[in-house]
Amino acid sequence: MNISVTGFGIVCAIGNDAHAVCCSLMDGKSGVAPLRYLQSAHKELPVGEVKLSDSQMKEMLGIDQDKVVSRTTLMGAVAARQAVADANACLAGKRVRLVTGTTVGGMDATERYYASMKESDEYLYLAAKHDCGSCTDDIIAYAHLDGAEGYTVSTACSSSVNAIIVGAEMLRNDEADIVIAGGTEALSAFHLNGFKSLMILDEKQCRPFDETRAGLNLGEGAAFIVMQRDAPDAIAYIAGYGNRCDAFHQTASSENGEGAFLAVSDALSMASLKPSAIDYINAHGTGTPNNDNSESTALKRIFGDKMPPVSSTKSFTGHTTSASGAIETVICLLSMTHGFIPANLGWKNQMPGGITPSTGESGVTLNKVLCNSFGFGGNDSSLILSSRPTDVEPNPVKPEAEIIAEDVVTDAAELGELRQFVSPMESRRMGRLMKAATLTSLRTLQKGGVECPDAIITATAYGMLEDSEMFLEDMVNNGEELLKPTLFMQSTHNTMSAAIAIRIKCHGYNITYSHGSRSYEMAMQDAKRLIALGKARTVLVGMHDESTPTFNGFCRRLGQPEPVALYSRSVLLRAKD
Amino acid sequence: MDSLINQLKLQIIDVLNLGEMTVEEFDTDAPLFGEGLGLDSIDALELIVLLEKEYGIKLASPAEGKEIFKSVRTIAEYVSKNRKK
Repeated sequence: MNISVTGFGIVCAIGNDAHAVCCSLMDGKSGVAPLRYLQSAHKELPVGEVKLSDSQMKEMLGIDQDKVVSRTTLMGAVAARQAVADANACLAGKRVRLVTGTTVGGMDATERYYASMKESDEYLYLAAKHDCGSCTDDIIAYAHLDGAEGYTVSTACSSSVNAIIVGAEMLRNDEADIVIAGGTEALSAFHLNGFKSLMILDEKQCRPFDETRAGLNLGEGAAFIVMQRDAPDAIAYIAGYGNRCDAFHQTASSENGEGAFLAVSDALSMASLKPSAIDYINAHGTGTPNNDNSESTALKRIFGDKMPPVSSTKSFTGHTTSASGAIETVICLLSMTHGFIPANLGWKNQMPGGITPSTGESGVTLNKVLCNSFGFGGNDSSLILSSRPTDVEPNPVKPEAEIIAEDVVTDAAELGELRQFVSPMESRRMGRLMKAATLTSLRTLQKGGVECPDAIITATAYGMLEDSEMFLEDMVNNGEELLKPTLFMQSTHNTMSAAIAIRIKCHGYNITYSHGSRSYEMAMQDAKRLIALGKARTVLVGMHDESTPTFNGFCRRLGQPEPVALYSRSVLLRAKD
Repeated sequence: MDSLINQLKLQIIDVLNLGEMTVEEFDTDAPLFGEGLGLDSIDALELIVLLEKEYGIKLASPAEGKEIFKSVRTIAEYVSKNRKK
């Protein structure tokens, strides 16, 4: 069986469609520039903004100008619509899924109207549009993907490559006929200030893999690809992929790049390829001292002194975080179909121990291309695209899954029991929900007699809402200075899944679904699919959510049920013999 | 200097959520990172925010903090020399 790519769409800082993006890449024209659309005090920070206003995108999509729609949704709908048109795919009568990767969801709209939402009802409807899952559902509506079922993956900066991987697995497991997969992420003051609090933003143009690199430039955008089984008119094929966890630290990559090394190794082995078969690597290459060191080490461990041409295209687009994996997958597809290697813009000085990136090449033939995408929490994923079919057969055995242990916490009073597993020093940054998630996960593993499962899958509608809300409140009330990095770090929805992996040193498959009340169903589907496809024998699945008085107030006023203050459930699945 | 050291200990316990620790237990000269107290890079970022918020001291990068954040005593020495408030 082959997973064919039959179409793609893209909107990012260097172009509002695939043609414009391709021209900018070939001309070496960066889209990183001073702030223009985002309302933020940080004018000193260059960003990779999509050169379209919300109003222009609403016009393109036929949306009423008076309605506030998050930029994440708008860009996603523009790119998804392009992808379906490019594939010339007829969705009617088919099992269609849209798998989106995003982290901030509707934050750009929430932060602008947060103060108003607390006082009046005019923009209160945005409270129901804030979460990642509702962005996906709205993309289906605005891009007219009638009948498509939405899925949302949230693994920080690797979200959209994981969305593509999940989509490919759905096709391999015959759950869908057409999968539109990718991601979307808008710039927001929340995100910009969060990255600023981590001190990883460069005030100049970013320089991935350069000795003088001093951080990343934040970007935004969306990209989607259309995938089908064995389509006759494929642009390229998804030959292999790997999703692994570095299991090292919440925001830093390990020195030896273990997660990245394992993800690339899995992708190569699934595609039955030797490293020497790879013609080009689109690196994650953010431009932070830490990422580029760690990624260089991982690549050297695999490719040794026979390094294929490598470049990071983030100096063109900025780091589009959750969307970056899909944006760079589309950039790889453009490079393959037009025969060029995009330049690693801004690179001048060789970094000690680092890879030497490509300064761009044209007139080349690219048959096998590797695309890396890594995220906070060590959610590291890699994808291999091939110009020719590769025939990867799914597992013929298809074992079923059974639940062998579970644990639930709904009362914060129980959290004291975490002491059995975690010292006060280790739990210093843990919020209530993180404590509950850690406790139910560790107790479930203990009950099931499994030290380290093959995979960890997490479901959460809002992630660590309390911490995200505190960061937002602080920013809205006190301005864009002196915000707390700890709170921002906890706002990415994959933070619980990653923390559990770090605690038990689990380098296996690691993913987080964030799609409202359907998140748990998606996580369980993924766990059963992993087992059916022979990729895991034991999977820890968690469902963790919390609420806050402010958020419950919004729900009450909207006439919606108020979520419970704390809920954490973990289950351990095992393949039946 | 002693009162600054005490004040810093209270502030560090507060911003890093070291709730179970008392000022008396907090060794002024013990290393804060690595083998000592065991703080990490995120704690270092919180300490940078603390210095700016409470003492008006702005550090440009986490690398600058390396020498300053060796122990509570080194922080106190740096603060007393460079404080703006």
